[in-house]
Amino acid sequence: MGWILVTSATVILFLQNYPLYIRSVPTENELKFHYMVHTSLDVVDEKISAMGKALVDQRELYLGLLYPTEDYKVYGYVTNSKVKFVMVVDSSNTALRDNEIRSMFRKLHNSYTDVMCNPFYNPGDRIQSRAFDGMVTSMMIQVC
Amino acid sequence: MSVPDYMQCAEDHQTLLVVVQPVGIVSEENFFKIYKRISSVSQISVRDSQRVLYIRYRHHYPPENNEWGDFQTHRKVVGLITITDCFSAKDWPQTFEKFHVQKEIYGSTLYDSRLFVFGLQGEIAEQPRTDVAFYPGYEDCGTVEKRIEDFIESLFIVLESKRLDRATDKSGDKIPLLCVPFEKKDFVGLDTDSRHYKKRCQGRMRKHVGDLCLQAGMLQDSLVHYHMSVELLRSVNDFLWLGAALEGLCSASVIYHYPGGTGGKTGARRFQGSSLPAEAANRHRPGAQEVLIDPGALTTNGINPDTSAEIGRAKNCLSPEDIIDKYKEAISYYSKYKNAGVIELEACVKAVRVLAIQKRSMEASEFLQNAVYINLRQLSEEEKIQRYSILSELYELIGFHRKSAFFKRVAAMQCVAPSISEPGWRACYKLLLETLPGYSLSLDPQDFNKGTHRGWAAVQMRLLHELVYASRRMGNPALSVRHLSFLLQTMLDFLSDQEKKDVTQSLENYTSKCPGTMELITLPDGLTLPPVPFTKLPIVRHVKLLNLPASLRPQKMKSLLGQSVSTKSPFIYSPIIAHNRGEERNRKIDFQWVQGDVCEVQLMVYNPMPFELRVENMGLLTSGVEFESLPAALSLPAESGLYPVTLVGVPQTTGTIAVNGYHTTVFGVFSDCLLDNLPGIKTSGSTVEVIPALPRLQISTSLPRSAHSLQPSSGDEISTNVSVQLYNGETQHLVVKLENIGMEPLEKLEVTSKLLTTKEKLYGDFLSWKLEETLAQFPLQPGKVATFTVSIKVKLDFSCQENLLQDLSDDSISVSGFPLCSPFRQVVRPRVESKPVNPAEGSRPGDLGHVKTLEAILNFKYSGGPGHIEGYYRNLSLGLHVEVEPSVFFTRVSTLPATSARQCHLLLDVFNSTEHELTVSARSNEELVLHAGECQRMAIQVDKFNFESFPESPGEKGQFANSKELEEERQEARGLEINSKLDIHWTIPSLKRTGEASVEGLLSQLVLEHLQLAPLLWDVLVDGQPCDREVAACRVGDPVRLEVRLTNRSPRSVGPFALGVVPFQDHQNGVHTYDLRHAVSFVGSGTFYLDKVRPSGQSACLGALLFLCTGDFFLRIRFHEDSSSKGLPPSWFRLPSVHVRALGTQA
Repeated sequence: MGWILVTSATVILFLQNYPLYIRSVPTENELKFHYMVHTSLDVVDEKISAMGKALVDQRELYLGLLYPTEDYKVYGYVTNSKVKFVMVVDSSNTALRDNEIRSMFRKLHNSYTDVMCNPFYNPGDRIQSRAFDGMVTSMMIQVC
Repeated sequence: MSVPDYMQCAEDHQTLLVVVQPVGIVSEENFFKIYKRISSVSQISVRDSQRVLYIRYRHHYPPENNEWGDFQTHRKVVGLITITDCFSAKDWPQTFEKFHVQKEIYGSTLYDSRLFVFGLQGEIAEQPRTDVAFYPGYEDCGTVEKRIEDFIESLFIVLESKRLDRATDKSGDKIPLLCVPFEKKDFVGLDTDSRHYKKRCQGRMRKHVGDLCLQAGMLQDSLVHYHMSVELLRSVNDFLWLGAALEGLCSASVIYHYPGGTGGKTGARRFQGSSLPAEAANRHRPGAQEVLIDPGALTTNGINPDTSAEIGRAKNCLSPEDIIDKYKEAISYYSKYKNAGVIELEACVKAVRVLAIQKRSMEASEFLQNAVYINLRQLSEEEKIQRYSILSELYELIGFHRKSAFFKRVAAMQCVAPSISEPGWRACYKLLLETLPGYSLSLDPQDFNKGTHRGWAAVQMRLLHELVYASRRMGNPALSVRHLSFLLQTMLDFLSDQEKKDVTQSLENYTSKCPGTMELITLPDGLTLPPVPFTKLPIVRHVKLLNLPASLRPQKMKSLLGQSVSTKSPFIYSPIIAHNRGEERNRKIDFQWVQGDVCEVQLMVYNPMPFELRVENMGLLTSGVEFESLPAALSLPAESGLYPVTLVGVPQTTGTIAVNGYHTTVFGVFSDCLLDNLPGIKTSGSTVEVIPALPRLQISTSLPRSAHSLQPSSGDEISTNVSVQLYNGETQHLVVKLENIGMEPLEKLEVTSKLLTTKEKLYGDFLSWKLEETLAQFPLQPGKVATFTVSIKVKLDFSCQENLLQDLSDDSISVSGFPLCSPFRQVVRPRVESKPVNPAEGSRPGDLGHVKTLEAILNFKYSGGPGHIEGYYRNLSLGLHVEVEPSVFFTRVSTLPATSARQCHLLLDVFNSTEHELTVSARSNEELVLHAGECQRMAIQVDKFNFESFPESPGEKGQFANSKELEEERQEARGLEINSKLDIHWTIPSLKRTGEASVEGLLSQLVLEHLQLAPLLWDVLVDGQPCDREVAACRVGDPVRLEVRLTNRSPRSVGPFALGVVPFQDHQNGVHTYDLRHAVSFVGSGTFYLDKVRPSGQSACLGALLFLCTGDFFLRIRFHEDSSSKGLPPSWFRLPSVHVRALGTQA
């Protein structure tokens, strides 16, 4: 299992409930995002387990808004292999609607798949792919 | 109302609130002892009905909360129990007064009260009073529970009367308006006669009655009342009370659906306290029977089996989904009133508990999320902590462990907020510990050994840092050292270089006060912190037990070897054993360590830190054998590569030793690292047998040590090398000092030598020694020295050097059978080629090539002490490197027959190849002086040899399957024999060195044959005297008896032979006269006949001669040409020539 987090331009991605990739734009208070994403995993777990009961086949990968906080909105996405992407977005950013978030996650997922296709990438290692980095950066710029 | 009770749950709505309080000075211990007993009476079945009364006890209750008692009756304090100490009657009035004061506080709502007096005895205590109970002491109060039950029954009576009073109170009387404290001023001046107002009053009262019914154990009644109240209040938009009515409805439904309770611990207790859920449901049934449309006609008698009651109940009670909807609604109404924040918060908590039971975590989290945002007035720090803790607990309840941990951590941080004057580090620490599972962090480093890192390192690290800080502020440095060690050990991969530096720095600071240990730290609340061994500082990659150095390696005596060979498996190789990987680590290594000797283990370590790592006190952890570990200190450079470290120790007893791990001190933390717990370690076995002590031998020699090391062949390891330079043929004594440097006496010594394979042909014994003299000094006690002498004798063949031989080979070896008259002749042949070697020539490289080297190993096998008894010995090897320079050698050897058939002359061309003048002497001859590079011939008269007489063991013969080898062997033996006979010595006077010269290599088959006694031994006897060389004398005219004897020593029969005797005279000038018919005549035949002679047989023939005149005569005995002698070598038929001197008659 793994995750990605994006905040008002931040991405984190993990495996086995530890981060595979973390990016946040206001880097000065990164630990805050760590806590935020860490606690959001409870919701992700809950949603996944609830989903597992319902529709296994045509499952929606997008988990939607995990929970809102005063300043941020936390969105989740889970792949079929239980890699979790978490995105934290500034709640003041009204331009981002559900559809945009969804398409961002899809892009992230595609890029992640590319990383996994790299035969030199060891599943479970931190992602250090430049292509992935670039994609996340472009996404953040777009959001800001 | 400002103090929320976070422990509230839906069931609390059906309880009666009783406050238990001490008055005066009552020790906390005693108070809580009694409080515990009182609170054990939490539910009472009322005597004549099946209703159950639930009591909630509080020892502290804010009176302002009591003011909300009309809003929700379970908030109303209805009973007061006061506990007090009173030891004398004098104090009694005062005490009683206090009781009354206490009663005043809750006075408006109290139904009844009790005073429990402890310690007072006497007449006051005798007076029976209903509201006061006297007990002699806290131990002696058996009737407390009974008293409480009575008290509760009295409460019930009041409750029941109130309920009936309010319930039936509908006719005409004006219904009072119930209101919450903050509403009072709102209603001033309101028209009390309006319909709206009346409805409001009615609705509120209904709700109140519902509360009372619920408390009185009439669930179904309360449901009905709540439903009615909701309808009434909804119509008048009285939202606060509508919310309360809805919540009441929810509570009643929850109580109905979940008889097990929702409040966690209290619920569980209640569950146990009551009975089975089914029974609990039955208990509510009386209420069901009372369900009538008209609540006023409610009675408690009779059981009506009408099914309509069931229908009614099902209708009134909310379904589980509805409960949540109604809670949501209620909360939304509450949220309209800022002053009802506590009510809203408590409702949220209650709803969450219900949802937790329903396992609807997502919705529960929404309720909790809402609760987080409910803003109460400025909370005190303590309240904040309580609030966060309860939030954490609730999140835990719905399975949101991370969220729970987050709030717990916030609570912990709140404990030590800067605004608090006395930070509660202990509480903070305790709370932080509770967050550990939420961050999937255990404090056992073993959990981090296997596989990938678990959990979120960034937050885990943060938490560990906080734990370290909290424990330090708590004043428990051991704890902070343990946490910091843990942080360093488990998070090493995630720490940046700067952080690594900071963490180690602070760790060193802490350990300077309190060193880290390997002991288990047990916290007061029972949690144990396992020790944290620094297995990553340094990281050990490879562990290898080293064998002892070759010279100290114990070996098993051959005789006992048979036992050790028979291992447990009968197979030499089996794939099953080879692939049994589990045993690999514990596999026994096939060498031994020796008790009392320093043993070594090699570790390959590396330092993952970006700075120099100082590891102190690094030693081995072993089991099985008492082991004295000799710790080492090392300093590893920053980010070092693999670095070999050797740990040593001395086994003190014997047995099987297992190396389990190692211990270190890094940054002041002691670590015991067990190999089993180390991931990715390579080891080739860790178990070794320790055998009993053996002595240790050190050898020193008289010769200088050699830098030249021998090429070890077949696994021999040489401990010492010595070298010596010798001239060929020289003998040197090597004195070996044997010192016992061990602790055990040296009892046994065996010496063997081994010549390393060389192309050179070596004659004679290279090394020889006499062990007896040395063994006489045994046993050698520790520290004692014995000496041992080895003779080194080098005899090599230098003659094969072609350039020297070439020109010398022109003289063919003379095989002439003629004796030379001059027996000792020196031939000095000046040769151009062999003129004295000038110094320039002597140093040319070709000459250096003449130096030959010999290498040998002397093996000393020794044993002693307990190890000897066990059958072990040690082997010490001394390498010997000998450079041999040529001294004299014989360029050519030839023989000349001597006058006697049993002797011959050996002619030797002696060449001095040294740069010094030397003298050569044979056994009996004078010395021959040879200048450097000079060659001279010397002749030595030697007796012929009877080689056949050498004993040759048949067994030895058998070993040489190859006849050629056999021949060589034989030749060698012959050479030895010849050498010893000749005994040729050389001396270099200038160097004072002497040696032997050897002819062995030169002796060709031809020469040997000449030197050998022929197998047919011919003897000629003149007048019965053996005649050989000497002149036989006889008289003229007398017949001389001539006898020829043949001894056959050849392996076959020979003969018959015919011999003719030819007399002649030698004029010493080369002229021989054969015509001697007038001088010599034969008596009888001149031809002798010998019969066939068998092997080792003897035969003789006789004849006679008559000398007619005086003179010297020679007799040559010749063989007649005969086929019988064909095929035999001519040398076999060498007869001595007879020299007869005929003397004149006596005149």
